Amino acid sequence: MGSMREIKHRITATQKTSQITKAMHMVSASKLKKAERSIRAFRPLTEHLSDVISRVISSDIDLTHPMLEARDTKKTVYIIISSDRGLAGPYNAMIFKAFEAYVKKQHKAKSEFVVAALGYKAFSFAKRKGYPLMLDHSIQVRDDVQFLDFQELSDRFIKAYLSGEVDQIIVFYNKFINTMNQKVEYQILVPIEHNPTIETKPKAGLNIMYHYEPSASTVLINLMPMYVVNMLYGMILEAKASEHAARMTAMKSATDNAKDLVRTLQLHYNRARQDAITIELTDIIGGANAVN
Amino acid sequence: MHLIVTTPQGVLYNETVDYVVVSSKNNGDFALLKNHAPLISAIDVGYLKLVKENQQLFTVIINGTLEHQDNVITVIAQEAHVGLNKDSAMDHLNQVRQSRLDENRRRNIDFLKAEKELKKNIREARPSRRS
Repeated sequence: MGSMREIKHRITATQKTSQITKAMHMVSASKLKKAERSIRAFRPLTEHLSDVISRVISSDIDLTHPMLEARDTKKTVYIIISSDRGLAGPYNAMIFKAFEAYVKKQHKAKSEFVVAALGYKAFSFAKRKGYPLMLDHSIQVRDDVQFLDFQELSDRFIKAYLSGEVDQIIVFYNKFINTMNQKVEYQILVPIEHNPTIETKPKAGLNIMYHYEPSASTVLINLMPMYVVNMLYGMILEAKASEHAARMTAMKSATDNAKDLVRTLQLHYNRARQDAITIELTDIIGGANAVN
Repeated sequence: MHLIVTTPQGVLYNETVDYVVVSSKNNGDFALLKNHAPLISAIDVGYLKLVKENQQLFTVIINGTLEHQDNVITVIAQEAHVGLNKDSAMDHLNQVRQSRLDENRRRNIDFLKAEKELKKNIREARPSRRS
């Protein structure tokens, strides 16, 4: 163990670190609440949109859209939703690990897929690993994320899918379960053939005869990309809530660890202080004996 | 008839109106009056003209759906903005979008700049440590 001064210095440094981590914990807690509110507010909008699409599709059995039909998968787009910054525990590492394992299992060559990174961490991960990237710059996932922020990316992959350049779009993200639990999930964004929220057959309560302006097929053509982007936005909101929850948990344990460390260091400091006093006393007694 | 315009940020407009004119790039113009038949439409970029007691309001919409049923019009939009005339509403929305894009670009540059600076500092610190 070092000198008293060294220990005192370490105690002060650790206390300062714990103050920062505590502040970060509190900031993340308040951001998490906000993110949860956004998820709750957005859910009815997605439900309404899937309801509208269900109505359009069920109006005509022959009505279909490329995004509703699966085709042979030659090329896949992987959208990885990560955070922009670190200090969020295993939040990013978990997604990257799951993604790497999945890609290794599914693909033999890098030419079979392309990565669309959402968040600076995902972008630098894909770049580091040498994966083919959809955009040459990162897309920021801000706390108050808006459609406009990732429009450049969504336009690009929707265009690629509709032109037949890619045949499948899969999203990797952290699903928010609760504050303590976030689960890495992958979801096929397009084609939407197995999406349980869209009903392709008419169901009870949907038998109102609707007019479509200008026609059901045109409405569907316009609605499908909108729906896909909405689904992605929902996942980004979930990922954002997971990020704040992960950061909150990480900062909480960092604060606890710092407190434990301060306690241990305080003990060492007291011991060192006592040792110094004992040495001083021994010196004084020794000196006094020598005088006598 | 009742009109509700909702965006992910919350409910933008929730009022009773006399009639609504829907104008969009992809579908052209049409009006919805009281007791209109149930209708569904999609708007890519366009606006809604809301008329109430000879007063007009315009809501600019970017990527939205419109559903009319039982004299209730529900509009779900990715982005929307209300203004006194369509040009001012559109201008304002474009301004907000542009400043957001600029801010995103600036943040991206800041990140890259910080990363480059950090790498440079690490490179410079290494030889000094050896010496």
